[in-house]
Amino acid sequence: MEQKNISSVLKSVEKPGRYIGGEYNRIIKDKDSVSCRFAFCFPDTYEIGMSNLGVRILYDVLNRAEGVWCERVYAPWEDMKGKMEEYSIPLTALESTDELSKFDLVAFSLQYEMCYTTVLSMLRLAGLPIWAGERGEDCPIIIGGGPCVYNPEPIADFFDLINIGEGEEVLPEICALYQEMKGDGSYTREGFLRRAASIEGVYIPSLYEVSYNPDGTIREYSPRYSDIPRKIKKRIIKNLDEAPYPEKLVMPYIETVHDRIVLEVYRGCIRGCRFCQAGMVYRPIREKSPEVLCRNAKCLYENSGYDEISLISLSISDYSRLPELTDGLLSWTDDARVSLSLPSLRIDSFSEELMRKVSSVRTGGITFAPEAGTQRLRDVINKNVSEEDLLRSVGIAFRGGKSNVKLYFMNGLPTETDEDIAGIAALAKRVVHEYYTMPKEERPRGVGVTVSVSCFVPKPFTPFQWERQDSLESLERKQELLKGFINDKKIKYSYHDARVSCIEALLARGDRRLAPAIALMAEEGAMLEAWDEYFDYEKWLSALERTGVDMDFYTTRGFSTDEVLPWDIIDIGVTKQFLLRERERAYEEKTTPSCMEKCSGCGANKLGGNTRWCN
Amino acid sequence: MVQLTPNMPYITLRVKFVKRAELQYISHLDLVRTMHKIIARAGLPLWYTMGFNPKPKMIFAAPLSIGTESECEFVDIRLVDRPPEEEVLRHLNANMTENMRAVAAYYPETKLTDLKWLRYRIAVKTEGASEALAAACAEYLLGDEVLVKKKSRDKRSEEQPSVNIRSGIREIIAGFDGECIILDAVLSADASAFLNPEYVVSALRGALGILSSGNLLAEYYSVLRTEAYREDMTPFD
Ligand code: SF4
Repeated sequence: MEQKNISSVLKSVEKPGRYIGGEYNRIIKDKDSVSCRFAFCFPDTYEIGMSNLGVRILYDVLNRAEGVWCERVYAPWEDMKGKMEEYSIPLTALESTDELSKFDLVAFSLQYEMCYTTVLSMLRLAGLPIWAGERGEDCPIIIGGGPCVYNPEPIADFFDLINIGEGEEVLPEICALYQEMKGDGSYTREGFLRRAASIEGVYIPSLYEVSYNPDGTIREYSPRYSDIPRKIKKRIIKNLDEAPYPEKLVMPYIETVHDRIVLEVYRGCIRGCRFCQAGMVYRPIREKSPEVLCRNAKCLYENSGYDEISLISLSISDYSRLPELTDGLLSWTDDARVSLSLPSLRIDSFSEELMRKVSSVRTGGITFAPEAGTQRLRDVINKNVSEEDLLRSVGIAFRGGKSNVKLYFMNGLPTETDEDIAGIAALAKRVVHEYYTMPKEERPRGVGVTVSVSCFVPKPFTPFQWERQDSLESLERKQELLKGFINDKKIKYSYHDARVSCIEALLARGDRRLAPAIALMAEEGAMLEAWDEYFDYEKWLSALERTGVDMDFYTTRGFSTDEVLPWDIIDIGVTKQFLLRERERAYEEKTTPSCMEKCSGCGANKLGGNTRWCN
Repeated sequence: MVQLTPNMPYITLRVKFVKRAELQYISHLDLVRTMHKIIARAGLPLWYTMGFNPKPKMIFAAPLSIGTESECEFVDIRLVDRPPEEEVLRHLNANMTENMRAVAAYYPETKLTDLKWLRYRIAVKTEGASEALAAACAEYLLGDEVLVKKKSRDKRSEEQPSVNIRSGIREIIAGFDGECIILDAVLSADASAFLNPEYVVSALRGALGILSSGNLLAEYYSVLRTEAYREDMTPFD
């Protein structure tokens, strides 16, 4: 008998362990006794998706909901995709191995723009229509969520429902509405979406009409019905201490990217770097208490057997109760031979004490993100870090036995000149020099400084959202220029493909008129484009041309402050007035204090929540 | 901080376990990582290595390659205490999954290196499978020369020399179950002469042209490790 499923082809693909499921702590329910089957899809590989904290949290939250069974789905690698197409094997969920068409709700977590074509390819592999308008009554409801959907417009036509903001409460509410309507027989696709539209944090793209001006800018968004909100307000969890946090983790058999316990210490960021979307969209800042975090950690340790706990948040050293937290954890982790690690550290608070406590800093490499090469440009972007801060922190690291430092920068920032680029090389040189200020016997190894440069993308909901993106030619010229400035063998230079950044800007800043190009890319096989080997710039140019999209309109054109932006349909709490104010200050090269020093009235406080700093 | 366990004597615990179904696709390295977490969750009194980054110590017998199921895997784990065997077994199984079960846990008298031979059940579904083809397989595998081209680490070299694997084959019984050719094979597990059952399949592929259609749904094979022996073919435990 011919079996058409994934397991028939596992012997002929790379890393078959990606596709087998069956992990310890994964959740199996009786499919006949649940009333809502939920497929949580991550449009990247298993190794990447299993590491995502949002997926871990929502998998747990949804499986706690009455009558809901949430399963996981990941994107197949290219070789597996080929086998699935060759043998007509549909995309299935790991837990039940059922195909996606058997599910009631199918949600995708969108973490970066370059995953859009993967979403569509996964829908195609599942045999589901990619356009929301083509889905019939029996088709699952396709849901989008995650950081990318703060500008949902380029992909709006592919989704039936989009979750704006944090999903811990919204998704169970959506499931409950679905269960209620299925239960009392009132469910129709349209009726369900109409009612879902009034759940706070839910955007139903098909309920809005978009019209355009002759110059191509947006004229307006008009709701099709009077009871539909004009703007979708971001949903937040008001009290993180009371929000559910997983007690168990699905334990992957194969190695994943972050194969450890992850503790989310707080949400939001007090800093307000002007290029950073996360810093704006996750406001207001809500902290968890050390007591709850310690309890979470202990419980996860006992249920997982992991020997590493990573404390994550946008800038961990800004956590107001960090000493209490680290002491609370260290009271048992050393004995249990569990190490603590931090993925990000701010330069100004990097201290010897923290370095001692945290083993990833003890054993691994160390990174800093000055982002710009001169103080002037760092002031423009509100990266409140001085050269002295950097050199002091680097010095601490060197004296602590480190000899390799990685520095992150950006090219193409607003107001950038060649002087700022020369500044990157100069700063790296001073870091090298700092190493040699130590006595010879304290530096057994040679020093290595890596300069890693990405390209600035003007993101929605940042003070730079109206800025033009630097052109491809200019970005590539700057990359070459910097290469010329770096003439020290101890400095390694790496930079991102500027063409990827151009497509990212297009997808981040686009509107609904991009959808046909994205669909065409997927039809022609684009997938896993976040992986260098599968990114194809020429293919994008061709798809854009064939669907009549002028890329420059979205990327190198500065948006006017009075035009309707594609993402104006969304309300993230932070006001446009605040963003405009911050933009002005950027041009004046003035920094803005962090929320801890002084509230700048960004507007996020109106969302409520258990916040520490907001007025 | 770091306890002085390195100076402590250790006791070797042996766990015999099965690894079946989809878990055949877990590599040996991933199995090691998985076992680390299982023994941590199970709360065994582990012995730790010395140094900055103390780790428990485990040694596996005859690592399985991807694509092989097993009913008889062995791992030795160092402990600082000697908890009752039934208790260890219970705690281990509470932390394993349905396709990975501990079948025995005990304080062994043998060394892992005493394991010299392994029995496998190799089932081959191929075009033209029959009693006669099964007999031909056995005849070839028990002949003088069983040639395979071993995978070379050097991907550039196109033609690898053939190797005769006959000395690693101790027993072959071949049959046909109406669908698949079933080979019952005893192969060397000795560290110096370990014979991977995959090579038996590729030898047959080369000599008899089985499994050559390229259609993964119509032709496939499976390998299951079933028993372990000492040099004199008494059961290893
Ligand atoms: S309201 Fe004030 S303190 Fe709160 S996030 Fe906005 S700027 Fe920061």
